[in-house]
Amino acid sequence: MKISLNWVGDYVDISDLSADKVAELLSLHTAEVEGVETFGESIQDVVVGHVVQCGQHPGADKLSLTLVEYGGEEPVPVVCGAPNVREGLKIAFAPVGSKLPGNLKIKKAKLRGEVSRGMICSERELEMSDEHNGILELPEDAPIGERLIDCLGMVDSVLELDNKSLTHRPDLWGHYGFARELSVILDRPLKPLDLEVAWPTNAGDWKLKLSDAEGCPQYGAVEIDLGGTPGLAPAWMRNRLQAVEQRPVSDIVDITNYVLLEIGQPTHAFDADTLRGRAIEVRAAQDGERFTTLDGVERTLDQNDLVIADGECSVALAGVMGGLVTEVTDSTTKILLESAVFHPTRIRRTAQRLALRSEASTRFEKSLDPAYTEQATARFTKLLLDMRSDAKVLSAPQVEGDSNAPHVVVQLDPARTSQLLGIEMDRAAMTGILQRLGFGVEDQGQELAVTVPSWRATKDVSMAIDLVEEVGRIYGYNRIQAAPLDAPVTVPVQQPLRLLGHQLVQRLVNSHGAFETQSYSFLDNAWANRLGLTRKDFVCIGNPVQAEVELMRRDPIPSLLEQAVGNLRENPVGRLCELAKGYEPVDGALEPQERRWLAVVEWTGKDTPREGQESLFARLRGVSQDLMRSLNLLDNLKVTPVSAEDSLPAWAHPVQSLNYHVGETFLGWSGRVHPQLQAELEFERADVGILLLDLQALAQVAEQAEAKFTAPSKFPGIKVDIALALPQAVAYDDVVGAIRKSGGKFLDTLELFDVYTGPGLEDGQRSLAFRSLLRSPERTLSDKEERKFLQKMEQVAVELGGNLRS
Amino acid sequence: MRNRLEALCRDGIAAVAEAQNADALQEVEVHLLGRNGALTAQLKGLGKLSAEERPAAGKLANEVKQALQKALEDRRAAIDKAELEEDLAGNGIDPTLPGSPMPVGGVHPVMAVARELEDLFSSMGYVVWDGPEIETEAHNFDDLNIPGDHPARESHDTIWMEDTPEDGRLCLRTHTSPVQVRALQKFGAPLRVVAPGRVFRQEAQDATHEHTFHQMEGLVVDKGIGVPHMLHAMNSMLEGIFGRKLETRLRPGFFPFVEPGFELDARCPFCKSGCKVCKGSTWIELMPGGLVHPNVLRAAGVDPEVYSGFAFGLGLSRMAMLRYGIHDIRWMMSGDLRFLEQFPA
Repeated sequence: MKISLNWVGDYVDISDLSADKVAELLSLHTAEVEGVETFGESIQDVVVGHVVQCGQHPGADKLSLTLVEYGGEEPVPVVCGAPNVREGLKIAFAPVGSKLPGNLKIKKAKLRGEVSRGMICSERELEMSDEHNGILELPEDAPIGERLIDCLGMVDSVLELDNKSLTHRPDLWGHYGFARELSVILDRPLKPLDLEVAWPTNAGDWKLKLSDAEGCPQYGAVEIDLGGTPGLAPAWMRNRLQAVEQRPVSDIVDITNYVLLEIGQPTHAFDADTLRGRAIEVRAAQDGERFTTLDGVERTLDQNDLVIADGECSVALAGVMGGLVTEVTDSTTKILLESAVFHPTRIRRTAQRLALRSEASTRFEKSLDPAYTEQATARFTKLLLDMRSDAKVLSAPQVEGDSNAPHVVVQLDPARTSQLLGIEMDRAAMTGILQRLGFGVEDQGQELAVTVPSWRATKDVSMAIDLVEEVGRIYGYNRIQAAPLDAPVTVPVQQPLRLLGHQLVQRLVNSHGAFETQSYSFLDNAWANRLGLTRKDFVCIGNPVQAEVELMRRDPIPSLLEQAVGNLRENPVGRLCELAKGYEPVDGALEPQERRWLAVVEWTGKDTPREGQESLFARLRGVSQDLMRSLNLLDNLKVTPVSAEDSLPAWAHPVQSLNYHVGETFLGWSGRVHPQLQAELEFERADVGILLLDLQALAQVAEQAEAKFTAPSKFPGIKVDIALALPQAVAYDDVVGAIRKSGGKFLDTLELFDVYTGPGLEDGQRSLAFRSLLRSPERTLSDKEERKFLQKMEQVAVELGGNLRS
Repeated sequence: MRNRLEALCRDGIAAVAEAQNADALQEVEVHLLGRNGALTAQLKGLGKLSAEERPAAGKLANEVKQALQKALEDRRAAIDKAELEEDLAGNGIDPTLPGSPMPVGGVHPVMAVARELEDLFSSMGYVVWDGPEIETEAHNFDDLNIPGDHPARESHDTIWMEDTPEDGRLCLRTHTSPVQVRALQKFGAPLRVVAPGRVFRQEAQDATHEHTFHQMEGLVVDKGIGVPHMLHAMNSMLEGIFGRKLETRLRPGFFPFVEPGFELDARCPFCKSGCKVCKGSTWIELMPGGLVHPNVLRAAGVDPEVYSGFAFGLGLSRMAMLRYGIHDIRWMMSGDLRFLEQFPA
């Protein structure tokens, strides 16, 4: 919202303060000021000119050739096309070198052969109104050469307020509210609104009917004879309106806008002669009812909307916008002025549904003080009568219904107030602040009984803490000094899942070159199919941010795969990891289950081999095992290839995938991505693998997995290298199992160091070479034990269908 | 014999002189003095000499041995010296060659900020807690004193789950504030807690708007808590993020779940007299906060007559943007390595 400081200055003296200072005061005590503008800046080069000569342009019928005097220099020749230009006229003159709105720069020009050194401006060219039938005529006594904005009193500073910081303050939707704030902040007197009207004593004869008392509890109307048709509002009013970016229309419309911007109460002027039956009914709209608002748009209403109807049909969309048929026009001579109380939420919903947020609806939705209605009627009438001497109020204002702000009295404990704010303030100072803000204060000894003024009582202030805010903000929050807590510190409770997640991510980042990412929780509907699932397997969004992206992911793999695809072009190799939640619907429960996952996605472009030869599959197993090792789970970890009976997520490769368990607890998977999915995601040029671990399960098993120290043997061990040539079909796991089983009690570590196929082996054979360590905690082993071990290994090899290579 | 020994000595010293490195010298030494070396062979011949010849020959043999040993020692010292000199001269290595490749990874900038702050607040005795991302309307709105007809609840601001009953609607939490009530319900008062996490809004994306971003909530409830304590916690947080104390100021702000509500501004950490970030004002708005509204305490089962508290909310995404100079929030959720690579862990 924009606030003119000239306007505020009508009610509180701020003439000694710069606009920046006022902005700072309001920001620190009331609401955020987002900017300070200078009104009139765009036409500050324009000066008062005097047409000293005016004659026919020799080369064009419709043009005049004038001589304009504008101070200091000699009069200059100016070509002008306006019909009202004439000798002796004072005009708005833009000399050569000046700038006009729209970045127009005035240059010396030749028009039909005649030199023109400047431009005589119309109101439209000055962006003062749409008037462009002729040039702006200035008063005869306007001083030649003076800046137009000074001459017309257009110099103003305008503050731009952040509307969001005003939502809870219905009293701040007009200039008067800001004047009140400044009067309190500065401790200066607040001048009252001029509402003096000599109302006629005869009662009005309009039949007012409130058929929807919730929607409209009070409706006021007054009929006024304008004593002519609408004209132009005085310059001072138009300047004010323009300063706050309200376009002047006609004096009648301008006054309604002026009152709205001054008090905050929207009013509406109907052309009284277009209303039928001298009747007004406020009622709910009919479902499907069509209505054309004064912007010319036909709108379809429903029963939650509120309309104003005359004796026959709807004439206004209550609280939002008037109707086209009954609006004030050039030929209007009588108006009916409406000033009413409308239900805030009803108005907001209508404005929102119709995408028609107006100045009126924005205010009604804030819960305005009902007392504003009467003030607005008076203020409108006062301004109108001052501006139009022939106008006549036809009857006393009529009011149907009775709406009042709640009478709120709050008990305030000054000691607690000071303590909460952390300031030293005595009750007299506190009372002073509250009274200046309009609160009634009665000192009851221990507490203060504080009566809330009507303009703050509709929803803003209802309890003691609200008054603490009032006292604090006027005192100045920025004067409060920080202080540390003085309560004792105890060891905070830990969330083990969080720590576990951090630990594993840090390991992935530091040891495995993974980049931690964050990806969206939402999935495209197509994912349901891709994952072989249906919508009911997902928590679904009712109003997705993007059409068709309605699924909440069950785990982060799909989103990470999408990020991997996005990276492939610039980065043919990469590893991303994410700590994230998955969401699963729970049968019979309203709230879904959220599961924390640690997910890794790795890709390698087919034509860019990664360092080292091992496969993506093996690398991810290596990563998983390292993570388990870091949690001291490696000894109890069971890594098993997936089998047909496993329920495997559809993103996993049906064979090249591994299950991880500790005991009976399932921890997750690693492996390649299903080739079909890979192709569907346009991943043909890369191999993609995943690792997905369930943090809940990991936390459960990791809790018991504390490291335990065993003293190393004092006796040296014997290193024995063995190579078993075996049929390829014999799995490594089985080989290790057999070696361990037969290796005897001295077999300590066993490490695979070579896998070989090729010359020297039979077809269909492969050789697995191990480095084994034989060691006893009690003595040094001899050659005898080594020979015995080799014999056993020979047996193992034969039993597995091969032989021990020498 | 004598001639042979002298020849051995002469040839031996020549061979030693020719050895160019430690390995060659070792070979020469074995050849001359080793178990099967030339001198040993000669010494074996001593036994065949007559008793008269033997002492002189033996003496000579000994002199030859000493001479050879001395030559070897000298040569070895020379070679060592040369090698040391060569080593010190740099061995012809190009010291500007790049280091060997190591695994390179990185922490997401928002998470980096979050974890730093978690550690900071943990050290001050705060519990780090979290709540669900799919939240009940009651926790996300009602308990936080947000009126039933508040615009924030509407579908242009909040992402709602499909097909939930009118009295048990679920939404994606629009802020981390529901954790205020959840944590109080779990732990009771007194309590210090921070709650980092992912939040969601119904927003069209542009450089400064995202539908998914991160916040951190802070809450302290105890007897005698007031605005100064809040200000201290907020200042500490900023010190944690920016690594130094910033001048701050409190001004009014409105949020239904606090009263009074504040905005905390800090002196722009990036300039002295106005820049793009602070839009020339030298202040930047950093954090909302306030005293916990009595209705929120009541919703959490805490008596507002006995306890008071403060809460603040921090846009983790925004802080990370400010700290690292990220001008477009859409990078955060992009997963683009060109972005992530710039934040080494």
